[in-house]
Amino acid sequence: MKQQKITGFQIIFPVLILILFLGCATAIGLFFQSQNISETNIVIIYLLFVLLTACLTEGFAYGILASVASTFAFNYFFTEPRYSLQVNNSGYFITFFIMTSIAVITSALTSKIKKSANIALEKEREMRALYFLTNQLTDATDYEGIAEIIVRTLSDILQERVACLCFDDNGKPQNSFVQCVSKEHVIYRETQNVNDIRYRIAELRTAYFEGEEFCDWPIYGRESVLGVIRIPKSCNMNLTESQKKIIHSMIESTALAMDRLREEKARHKSNQEIMQERFRATFLRSISHDLRTPLSGIMGTAEILMDQTKDNKETYEMISAIYKDADWLHSMVENILNITKIQEGKLVPRKQYEALEEIIESALEHFKRRDIEHRIILDIPEEVIIIQMDGKLMMQVFINLLDNAMKHSDKDSEIVVRVLLLPVTDQVEISILDSGEGIFDEDIPHIFQMFYASKNLRKEEKHGVGLGLSICQAIVLAHNGTIYAENRKDKSGAVFRILLPLH
Amino acid sequence: MSAYHEAILVVEDDSQIRNFIKYTIEKEGFHFWGCSNAQNAMSLLVTENIDLLILDLGLPDYDGIEVIKKVREWSDLPIIVVSARDQDQEKVLVLDAGADDYVTKPFSANELLARIRVAIRHLYRSGEMKSNFFEVDSLRIEFDTRTVTLDSTLVHLTPNEYSLLTLLAKNAGKVMTTDTILKEIWGVNYGSDTQALRALMAGLRRKIEQTPGMPHYIITEIGVGYRLRDA
Repeated sequence: MKQQKITGFQIIFPVLILILFLGCATAIGLFFQSQNISETNIVIIYLLFVLLTACLTEGFAYGILASVASTFAFNYFFTEPRYSLQVNNSGYFITFFIMTSIAVITSALTSKIKKSANIALEKEREMRALYFLTNQLTDATDYEGIAEIIVRTLSDILQERVACLCFDDNGKPQNSFVQCVSKEHVIYRETQNVNDIRYRIAELRTAYFEGEEFCDWPIYGRESVLGVIRIPKSCNMNLTESQKKIIHSMIESTALAMDRLREEKARHKSNQEIMQERFRATFLRSISHDLRTPLSGIMGTAEILMDQTKDNKETYEMISAIYKDADWLHSMVENILNITKIQEGKLVPRKQYEALEEIIESALEHFKRRDIEHRIILDIPEEVIIIQMDGKLMMQVFINLLDNAMKHSDKDSEIVVRVLLLPVTDQVEISILDSGEGIFDEDIPHIFQMFYASKNLRKEEKHGVGLGLSICQAIVLAHNGTIYAENRKDKSGAVFRILLPLH
Repeated sequence: MSAYHEAILVVEDDSQIRNFIKYTIEKEGFHFWGCSNAQNAMSLLVTENIDLLILDLGLPDYDGIEVIKKVREWSDLPIIVVSARDQDQEKVLVLDAGADDYVTKPFSANELLARIRVAIRHLYRSGEMKSNFFEVDSLRIEFDTRTVTLDSTLVHLTPNEYSLLTLLAKNAGKVMTTDTILKEIWGVNYGSDTQALRALMAGLRRKIEQTPGMPHYIITEIGVGYRLRDA
């Protein structure tokens, strides 16, 4: 409606101006004639008013119309015979022709200049609006802030209630969107058909999507759609090309600002993660350091005392108990530190090519410190088995399993470590078999659970916290392997089997 | 009664551990010098005639690694690091900085003494004329003829196996880090492909060891490197 009104006005106004100026020129011309001023001046006066008309009206048409009309008016009012369109002196035709030509050319030039001035003005307005928008966007610290700025700016330009719907980091439209309702006020409205919008925007091949209430213009970020600008449908239908252009530029600026914000957020998050990781690592390191130092003091001193009291059996036994407890505490500390890493899901094996035999060797070496009271039999294939794994962690698995086997079987009994290549499944199987009493059937399903303690303890057995085996399982799983426990078929005793992929 | 008379400086801020080490080494006949920080250690090293340094990494004033680097500027003095830090990278860092050995806390007296003996032997060996053979138990390497015998039987080694064995033999008792071995055998530009080294080591072991999983001569230090037994 608004637009039509303006068009009507645009037709009437220049016509009025044209008639008015023509009247003025004629009046001045009549005055000149009465004063006997030369006709040439009258022609100049007409030309002047044609120029003025062209200045005040839009487009070529009125200027040309004014040129022709003034020529006719000059002809009608000032050439012999007067008050008629007839001409006695043929020399006037030259005057008419030149007059019309000059009038047409000047009016055309004027309207052309005016047009470029208008374009420049419009460009400047666009630039100013864009500059203002970018300026504001730089200060925005969140998506809502950006959305509010863009809706205010666009609403101001289009004189409409523009809205903006942001998408979250996963590319899903948010549940509410912001709409500008007046110069000062924005409101938040609930988003309808969230998934619909997402799908349609993803499938979009044109500049915007036409919905029921709004036309949605997507804001494309570097990686994904960051949101949509929602322009009321009625307004969207009547957008001029230049308005569309400015909407596009503004959406571009918004996308830039949103991308910047998203990157900042990601950087902040990763910085925080790095800090946390660093803090955690230092914390764990200092704990393990602080626990190990007094333990080595206790163990060392106990060792000296054991050395000094070899002859006094009673004291020696007591001190060696101190030593054994400290040693147990030490392995406990190691296990608790490992479980902390595992629980935080931060157990990322640092895999390297390792020879399996070296890992087993190092695990056995670990027990050399306290005298090995069992007969350990190694059954390793001639073939070298080199697998990518975290040597330190895998060694911990064998230490825990061997420790377990030693704890649950008698002194001098046999513990077998067997390595078997399974070429069919491209796996290697490592079994640790002891000759103890085996595992109670009811314990087997729970044996790898954290803090699981069997109710069926043999007397004098040291009660663990139930971490060793769950650590083994976590480490083996981190190497894409499996671990399980069962009882020996050939004789009494338990078997722990680990299956690891060869490649 | 004891064969040793060398002076050992123990730099350790925990007095209980210092006492434990003092007792252990004095019992073997070594002279004990002790201090609890890096600055005192440096002045003792300058003023006293120290033959071996036992160093804790977490000192109150400087990090032990700094001490190693400083000492290495003017002395080949054997350095054994005793630390509660058990990260592999840390060990490699310390060994590459110039330490001769690394013992992780808690350690036993025997463990420490064994390392000290190795270091002391090296101290004297480096003073002697370069020996043209190496012998440990029944393994013997003749450097001149490039022959290796086990129980007087000739062992046929590939050139790379021989290089690996002699590298370890020339540093017998000391841990050679994986990177050092890779550089020595395959050259600087080879990178850090441990796969080839593991395979080479396994091949060598199959020729000189009885049971690959329970080696007698070459000991693995997981995550750090290898050491050839030296006694």
